[in-house]
Amino acid sequence: MSKSSALSRRSFLKTSASGLVAASTVGRAGAALAADPIHFATWSAAVDTVKSHIAGFEAKTGLKVDYSNTPWAQFRETMITKFVGGAPIDTLWVSDSWLPEWAEAGWIKPVDQYKALTAYNDDVDKFCVDSMSYQGKQYGITYYTDFMGFIYNEDMLKKAGLSAPPTTWAEVIDQAKTIKSKGLAEYPLLVPMAQETWLIEFISALVFSHGGRLVDDKGNAVMQEGGAAQALNLLVDAVQKHKVVSPSCVETGELAALKSFSAGQHAFGLIPKYRLRTLNDPKQSQVAGHAKIALMPKGEKGSHATVGWMRFYGMTPRAQADATRAANTVKLMEWFGGKADGEYRFQKLLFKDVGAGFGVKSLFKDPEMRAAYAAYGDVDLIGKQQGLALKKDVVTPWFGEWNDVNGSAWQQAILGKVTPDQALKNSAAKWTSLKKQG
Amino acid sequence: MAGPSMADPTAAARAVRQARIRSRAGRVGRGLILLVASLVFLGYTLAPVVWLVSSSLQNEREIVSKPPHWIPHEPTLENFAAIFTAREKTVTYETRRAADPASGGFIPSTASNLLPALGNSLIVACAVVVLNLLVGVPSAYAMAKIRFRGRSASIYGILATRVIPDIALVVPFFLFIRNLGLLDSLWSLIITYLAVTVPFSVFILVSYFESLPDELDKAARVDGCSRWQTMTKVYVPLALPSLVAVMLFAFLASWNEFLLALMFTQTPKSQTLPIIVASFTSDFTISFSFINAAGVLAIVPPVLLALIFERYIVSGLTAGAVKG
Repeated sequence: MSKSSALSRRSFLKTSASGLVAASTVGRAGAALAADPIHFATWSAAVDTVKSHIAGFEAKTGLKVDYSNTPWAQFRETMITKFVGGAPIDTLWVSDSWLPEWAEAGWIKPVDQYKALTAYNDDVDKFCVDSMSYQGKQYGITYYTDFMGFIYNEDMLKKAGLSAPPTTWAEVIDQAKTIKSKGLAEYPLLVPMAQETWLIEFISALVFSHGGRLVDDKGNAVMQEGGAAQALNLLVDAVQKHKVVSPSCVETGELAALKSFSAGQHAFGLIPKYRLRTLNDPKQSQVAGHAKIALMPKGEKGSHATVGWMRFYGMTPRAQADATRAANTVKLMEWFGGKADGEYRFQKLLFKDVGAGFGVKSLFKDPEMRAAYAAYGDVDLIGKQQGLALKKDVVTPWFGEWNDVNGSAWQQAILGKVTPDQALKNSAAKWTSLKKQG
Repeated sequence: MAGPSMADPTAAARAVRQARIRSRAGRVGRGLILLVASLVFLGYTLAPVVWLVSSSLQNEREIVSKPPHWIPHEPTLENFAAIFTAREKTVTYETRRAADPASGGFIPSTASNLLPALGNSLIVACAVVVLNLLVGVPSAYAMAKIRFRGRSASIYGILATRVIPDIALVVPFFLFIRNLGLLDSLWSLIITYLAVTVPFSVFILVSYFESLPDELDKAARVDGCSRWQTMTKVYVPLALPSLVAVMLFAFLASWNEFLLALMFTQTPKSQTLPIIVASFTSDFTISFSFINAAGVLAIVPPVLLALIFERYIVSGLTAGAVKG
């Protein structure tokens, strides 16, 4: 489903439901809510890890938690329906991409007044706090965070006689051409560019590493120039001129890319860092033991910057409407996003169970975490790369609508249907138009 | 002027023989084309199912092999074992990872939800089928055989409700279900699916009943049958193919429905198969082979139904489509 249709749907749902909501809530206003459990909604990930931590919370506090989960792909639409339908939700996982939309709609509320939550800001990476903030207000506490990694197949590089992974995008192309010429891979470089939720992360990583931005600090489009233009030109050349990236990359999503890389079909790939664990699991991957992470290659005037993303625990107006419920909800949010019994237990569980990244800086020094990371990755390099991660600069209320247009523009350029210059101009024009509409 | 057959019997016989050969060659050629076309069509339609079954018997490492292994090199039943041996239990810090019974740690621990979800899907689908027949048959009979004011408007009115896309109904349905206190219950699905499927069921049955002669109705009435008896003893037995079509339609619509189930269910207590299977793709660790094993499980009931009622399906769906 396209984002634009989702937005239309959102508008439709908001307007059509308002009367029904009002009618249905008559007579309910005085209902005693404090006795209810804390309603906690997530997408379907790490379900048992979450359940175990809820069990710990209930045992510790005596409070009850009503936990529900929904598939990730439909989570946003489902939550929007439940928000406008007045379903009981107190805290939930929120993606940084949805923050402006949900904050503007009043579906989630700032948490600045809860010091138990904001006290953790000093111990998490800056881009994490930035990603949870909108118009100067903080809307949650970290759930997990990760960044787009540059993964390479060490074995394939060795077979090609390459002693070290590339550090610049120019070297990436050169090494990819060498690997291709030796018949080790038809398309050595893997850049998933399918129109899906991950696309903006792949694009942002390419742009940031070329020293570019999609929009400037004032929110004006700069995606048609500088690093963004260099990034798209590099990708177009990689597909059309050097033929080191498959043209079918426009149909390859993140998950398909993971499976393709794990089948040993590529030397380099843009892959979310947390997939490193899967790629090095012999039961799931044919490149186990050979998938390594390197710093994101830099463009001509770029850096090793990459894009980071953030998922956090948001708090609903329903939770804040009642002092007791708010206090209980904050306890649950801190139990998950902060410390539980004096340690970042949930982050540690999540990392050890499924390899999910964390934004807590001190955990990079934790011996237990370092040992776990060392089984498949270079913990210091990962920490360094995470420190270079930047938040997405396009997250706005109109992000969804623009994202569709921008994704199509990049795809058309990759397939040679329009020039990179024209594609980026189209994308920038759409951004400017949407920004004017607010 | 005499033709070859008149002038030379041998030539005539040769010509006849050649004509026969040409005719036979034509038939063989047409047969071959049909055969090839059928094989292509068969391959096109069956290949995904074959791959679904094949990959469900592979491990995660083999499933990403290139070229793909249509016949598993290391066949395994671990995915099915995970589904059938997983048990719901209280999850604690100590037990959380032991929930992957047959796995290397990447089969979703929520595998234990699959069989209950299968049961939920069956209950909902069967209930919707039964209710569709209970509501649809009398409605369709009345509209087809009883002349009353507003009859046509009723038929078009019922059909018009299906012009509204499901997404537009989600919020009203959600509020309705919430106010009834039926969120996260199977009844929420049964009620809403019934509302969605009954119009089509009525439409199919009306067409079929209309294709049956009115004289049957009159004869039954003359013989002393009530309206109810006329419907149940005369028309329903004759409408068997159409009833099977309605049953299959209602079953499959309920079995596959995703959007409403997504909105109205929250826990494995009421979640149906499509929701549980979709949830496997969200996790940090995703097993394609396991998801395909779940897919195999999901197609078994509809395929069995289709096989059992195969001879009724086409006649039921096309009945009444062309009226003389």
